[in-house]
Amino acid sequence: MLELSNLSVSYGAIEAVNSVSFTAQPGSITALIGANGAGKSSLLKTISGLVIPKQGRVILDGQDLALIKPHERARLGIAHALEGRRIFHQHTVEENLITAWHFRHPKGDFKRAQEQVYSNFPILAERRRAKAGTLSGGQQQMLILSMATLHEPQVVLLDEPSLGLAPIIISQIYDFIRGYAQEGGRIVLISEQMASLALKVADHGHVLRHGALVQSGTAEQLSGAGLASAYLS
Amino acid sequence: MNPLHLIGRVISNPWFVGVLCTVAAVAAGFVNQGTVQMWCFLIVNIMLAQSINLLTGIAGQISLGHAGFLAIGSYVAAVLLKDYGVPFPVAILITMVVSAMVGYVLAIPSGRVREFYLAMMSLAFGLIVYELVREWRDLTGGVMGMRGIPSPNLNTLEIFGWQVSMEWYFRIMLISLLVLMMMLRNFVKSHFGRAFYAIHVSEVAAGSLGISQGGTKRFAYALSGGIAGIAAGFYAYMVGYLTPESFTLMRSVEILVMSIVGGLGSLMGQVLGAALFTYLPQQLQAFNDYQFIVYGLILVFSFILLPRGIAGLLGTHTRYSKHDQLTANIPDVNAVLSRRDTGSGALVDVQGVVMEFTGLRALDDVSLKVLPGTITGLVGPNGSGKSTLINVISGIYKPTAGTVRFKGQAINGWPAHKVACLGITRTFQDPRNVPSFTVRENILMGAHRLYKHGAFAASINSPAASREEGQFLGRVDALMKEADLIRHADEAVGNLPYGIQRLAEVARALASDPELLLLDEPAAGLSESESERLGALIRLARDHGVGVILIDHHMDFLEELVDEVVAFDAGREIYRGDMEGMRADRAVVEAYLGKEEESHA
Amino acid sequence: MDFFLQMIFSGLSVGAVYALIALGLNLTFWTTRVLNFGQGSVLMIAAMLTAVMIGSGLNMLLAILISLAVAGAVLIISEIVAIRPLLKVSGSMGWVVSTLGLGIFLQGVASLAFGTQAVAFPDVLFSSSASVQLFGAWVSMQYIAVFMISVLIVGLMELFLRYSTWGYGVRAVAHDPDLASLMGIPVRKVVLYSFMFSGLLAGVAGILVSQISGTVDPGFGLHLLILAFIAAVVGGMGSATGALIAGLALGVLEKLIAGYYSPAAAHMVAFVLLVAVLAIRPQGLLGKKEMVKV
Repeated sequence: MLELSNLSVSYGAIEAVNSVSFTAQPGSITALIGANGAGKSSLLKTISGLVIPKQGRVILDGQDLALIKPHERARLGIAHALEGRRIFHQHTVEENLITAWHFRHPKGDFKRAQEQVYSNFPILAERRRAKAGTLSGGQQQMLILSMATLHEPQVVLLDEPSLGLAPIIISQIYDFIRGYAQEGGRIVLISEQMASLALKVADHGHVLRHGALVQSGTAEQLSGAGLASAYLS
Repeated sequence: MNPLHLIGRVISNPWFVGVLCTVAAVAAGFVNQGTVQMWCFLIVNIMLAQSINLLTGIAGQISLGHAGFLAIGSYVAAVLLKDYGVPFPVAILITMVVSAMVGYVLAIPSGRVREFYLAMMSLAFGLIVYELVREWRDLTGGVMGMRGIPSPNLNTLEIFGWQVSMEWYFRIMLISLLVLMMMLRNFVKSHFGRAFYAIHVSEVAAGSLGISQGGTKRFAYALSGGIAGIAAGFYAYMVGYLTPESFTLMRSVEILVMSIVGGLGSLMGQVLGAALFTYLPQQLQAFNDYQFIVYGLILVFSFILLPRGIAGLLGTHTRYSKHDQLTANIPDVNAVLSRRDTGSGALVDVQGVVMEFTGLRALDDVSLKVLPGTITGLVGPNGSGKSTLINVISGIYKPTAGTVRFKGQAINGWPAHKVACLGITRTFQDPRNVPSFTVRENILMGAHRLYKHGAFAASINSPAASREEGQFLGRVDALMKEADLIRHADEAVGNLPYGIQRLAEVARALASDPELLLLDEPAAGLSESESERLGALIRLARDHGVGVILIDHHMDFLEELVDEVVAFDAGREIYRGDMEGMRADRAVVEAYLGKEEESHA
Repeated sequence: MDFFLQMIFSGLSVGAVYALIALGLNLTFWTTRVLNFGQGSVLMIAAMLTAVMIGSGLNMLLAILISLAVAGAVLIISEIVAIRPLLKVSGSMGWVVSTLGLGIFLQGVASLAFGTQAVAFPDVLFSSSASVQLFGAWVSMQYIAVFMISVLIVGLMELFLRYSTWGYGVRAVAHDPDLASLMGIPVRKVVLYSFMFSGLLAGVAGILVSQISGTVDPGFGLHLLILAFIAAVVGGMGSATGALIAGLALGVLEKLIAGYYSPAAAHMVAFVLLVAVLAIRPQGLLGKKEMVKV
């Protein structure tokens, strides 16, 4: 179980996240919904350790993560796919996968994990020797997802996985995410602007506005036209 | 009051400085020649520190080779007087010009590379000048040194037949120093000083205000070189004997240390730093024995232990406007902006613009027209290309394909500062002010492109320069009133709440008297009342015939302002029309909420 | 003709050392976007220590190893004392000034400990009189050895960075430190290792170049640093292959001008080359353009 309690984040004078608490259960997908600048990315970065919160705690299975560095959290099984297609552009697809695998000290066999990636996304197998920077947006997102889930982490954080992608690719990616969460009782957090899309795949949702939680509930409870007011007003 | 700050107040008081200089000028007649020479040496060091401060402290370009300027200047000055018999004041002027030219040439690459490249270059420059001076024996005498330079020290210096004694030489130097510092002070407080500081702190923001990065850095290098040239001229005649060993790396380091310890950015700090490092080596033998160790340690730790130098300890602040010198007439806010003609077709015309980054098409065949006196809203999810469009129009990105026309002229591919000079002013998603500038100084910076007076007029506070600066200061006041910023006018903008920073940035954009205003999420993070102020500012622009492009996510905010709204998704336009229609538009709702919204609704 | 060939060979030899120093600069530039402005003094310290220790009768290999260890340690200390605390200071001003300061400090310490006079450097590789005939010209074995060792190290480093897992790690940190840490890469450790290796490379380069020049004095590193920087810039900042090609070319150019004209003229030409490359093609011959992010 992943538990956030009373988390606040600020960058200098700017308050990005304001005392947010919630829990995420194994085997479920949680969606963080909100407009640009609502604090979704900051929240995810606090969980993976890239941002140090001003106050509050992140607790994974009873362990407080406060003093654990990002690369150690990665080894503990927290994976974070950053917003904005961040991959190693100069590396080839294969080198990206090697980099994602090796340093997290995973158990198991890289060859098998790699084969799994290529069977999930055959297009990546075709382009394994291509520099990641030359992939299309959809292929890059597939690579990012594969890198995040390569060593089968227990917690996966996905920041705007659908950004700027065609609907067909989005549904392919979301199918993969759903399968991944259900498979081994894993915890998945997705931040999304596209609320109904996220709520279709998620079990729970939290709506953020100006850094604070304004609405929480199951996906069914949150779905519906009422949500549009969070964006279009 | 902090006693150190009291000292700071006293020594920066003009009366105190005046009395001190008068006393020194009189006393020069009563002390021995060695002491007077020491004072002359101090003045040389102060000038060198001012020279490096202008470049490093204000314009942010690190110089590790200032001894190179000193060497070139010294030998040029010496040769002019010794071999060509040029009169002393003329020789100093020529030396200044030569040194300034060397600075300009050195800075040629500065528009394109980051500052550490220039730092390494300056290090190499100092070293190579030193080598040349050693090897060019015919001209410099090599390691044997150059003798026979007319000097007050040897009673061989004459100006038009008048033999200059050491005490009079000191008085001439003192007056020159005072004039130089007065001009520097005025210069720093002018739009040039603000531009110097702005390229140092925020290159991108400076570009958006019409400040050319390369041009400004070259100017800074040339001026710095020129001031070092004056110092070099005085130095050469004062000592009467030049040897390459006076121009080693250590000399460059010494000048840099004076400036850093005195307090980068502060004119008064330079005087203190120079005084400290002129006298300490005299008093403490350890300074000479362990000079490398001492100066090395100072360089390593000064930024950590004493980030703003002695000037910082004494609480002195450099201000970058002539607000304290001029009383401004505050005009009506309607007089701040020119009234633009709204009749003549599209102000900006974007045609088929494509912007590609590796693996991503951020703009895909986008076309857009904005008429003068109208507001066009841009909406769309994060990453849909709105900001990219603004970056393309304002010249930060060069589009992969397509054209951008401003009043009929194609401007795509122009550098940002040239675009800004046309009257296209923008704000940024995260406010880009100069944090240590006050609100007033930041807004005044917006007017940069409108200034007509030159650097010399600014330095001597010519009537025209004062009139212009006063006029813009008045306009800034009017804008601050309109934006309700007047109570924060003299506070550093970096310490103020986010909303105030945003408003200040928008006010800065208006101070440029723009024709086209590009606002990237100006209302993000603003309170209700701040949003109202912002709305009033935007309307003010529109009512004067300014064309406005406005990105925002707050639909009710847009509702009250825009004439037309354009929605983007994945780099393409998906809707154009009024707000009402957009809310009902299926494609827009899908873009925001995803495909499934309709089935739930 | 013999003279010409000799200049070419000695140019290739020092040029390879420039490439070695440039590689050391590039290593820290990759991981932190920082260059050590005091690197010249690291070259000097390693060479000086080696000379002094061998002079006092210590085993040659041991002396070299100790000197290299000191060079590596100096760079780690630089990172901790003079770079990391200063990254917050605006732009690059803080670390430029502090690394230069550390270099000057080391120069001061060396003068204090060993005197300011030049120290003769012992024959570590072959005897200074050993030479072979190549294309009709007599070439010192030391030149050949220095050339071979430098090129070998540059080549091995390039292979290591390109094909080893740790190489991927270094390149990952260079590209995006945040992302690298999310991939489990201990960014801090990689950075410190890169500094240590940069120091080791500087140490090796210092010893090699002193072997050619025959003497070492406390002020000797600065020229080498600047020439290596020019090689790095001309080759393209961050490109090891570029630095090797540019380093060799620069070395040959320098020796030819110095041989037929004067050393100061050679340095002048190198400097003009630097200004010209920065003004015309700042990304160098093999470097990639930097993208401005807004």
